[in-house]
Amino acid sequence: MPAFAPRIHEAPDDLLAAIDWCYEQGWTDGLPVVPPAVDRVKAMLAAEGRPSETVISHHPATGLDLSLHAAAVNAVMAGCLPEYFPVVVAAFEAMDRPEFNFHGSTASTGGSAPLLVVSGLYADEIGMNADVNLFGPGNRANATIGRAVRLILRNVFQMLPGISDKSTQGNPGKYSFCIAERARGNPWPLLCEAQGYPKGASSVTAFAGGGFCNVENHGGNTPEQILGSVADAMANYGCITLGQSVVILAPEHMQIVAGAGWTREKAQAFLFTHAKRSVEGMNGVGKYRDREYDTQHGKDAHALAEQGFVHRGLSPDDILITMGGGDAGGHSCFIPSWSRGRGSIMQHAPVKPIKRS
Amino acid sequence: MQLYSPMSTAPKRKAFRAPALASIDGLRIGILENGKLNAEEMLQEFAALFVERHGCTVHTLASKSNASAPAPANTLVKVAQEVDFLITGLGD
Repeated sequence: MPAFAPRIHEAPDDLLAAIDWCYEQGWTDGLPVVPPAVDRVKAMLAAEGRPSETVISHHPATGLDLSLHAAAVNAVMAGCLPEYFPVVVAAFEAMDRPEFNFHGSTASTGGSAPLLVVSGLYADEIGMNADVNLFGPGNRANATIGRAVRLILRNVFQMLPGISDKSTQGNPGKYSFCIAERARGNPWPLLCEAQGYPKGASSVTAFAGGGFCNVENHGGNTPEQILGSVADAMANYGCITLGQSVVILAPEHMQIVAGAGWTREKAQAFLFTHAKRSVEGMNGVGKYRDREYDTQHGKDAHALAEQGFVHRGLSPDDILITMGGGDAGGHSCFIPSWSRGRGSIMQHAPVKPIKRS
Repeated sequence: MQLYSPMSTAPKRKAFRAPALASIDGLRIGILENGKLNAEEMLQEFAALFVERHGCTVHTLASKSNASAPAPANTLVKVAQEVDFLITGLGD
């Protein structure tokens, strides 16, 4: 579908009045935005290099396209610096794949927010936070990249709360849900390496996240104890589905797990094995479905899927695990999928670093 | 100051409504269920009202493998050839 020329509005010259004017247009997430002045948008686009009309994502239900230009406008409004823009672009290139299910994950009552995990050197280059207060406020890159995603979903794809975004409760990540993978002290290969990108490349992984579950364990001293707590969180009756999972291990927990020689693959297998509920238990809370059980235990079932139990996900590969957060504290987290089934599969894409003149 | 619009620059897609049916008496019904808990049951109950009150017949039951994704085009094309109107909706 051909793109039209971008529209320019005359807004008040006074900055505060211009911010109010943006509110009046319905362009915000409830917080003030940076007015998308023409020169700022051009500076953002200069960080990309491709023609501004290039379409990087398409919404299957509304038929609306996301051009680099529209992405840049919203990135300015979110407060992004130009060097953050390649991450925003890569996120939408990842989410554009049909397996991510753009429409469902942005419209559903499930209330998902796209979690972005940025992996590799570029996260450091633009000053992202992978450390203390990982999911909290305080870092411009994390906060504004995540916010740009939300503003694009709202302004470009018209996923408007109460109209096309039907989240029953939503989750706080719908304001911004973006972290960097912690490379410092990480004993496992970074995600970008595990994903097969060449040395020095960075990636963004996008996951339709259904919320945030803190996993506290200050007493466990073995991988089984630490990951047992995580598995229990993953299998709670409120969360257990056939969907995928993201687990961010705190450095303290990672030290215990990897310090005992456990690889990422071994941890994934342990979590898949133990994040399960009995058929009887699932029936007890009214969540058991033959169709889902058969999907998990059919002829293509993973060898670790135990008869008589419903596991979280279909295989250990459905569990993304890495490290993040501050040095102190036994607080990891589990982020459930929005999807109850296989409605959205996490995707990743390479970050194409900023063009430097 | 001059501000760019943050909206999509793509033209709005044109959508057309199907012409209204003059009568539904004796028509063929299709059901498109989305795989959610109780979706098929609810839609069958709904279709039964048309059968009872208007002499309709249920011709096709189609399923979506992903409740939250649009129905595949080939499913819609196939169903459109077999029925006069389609009933769909959420389960849960």
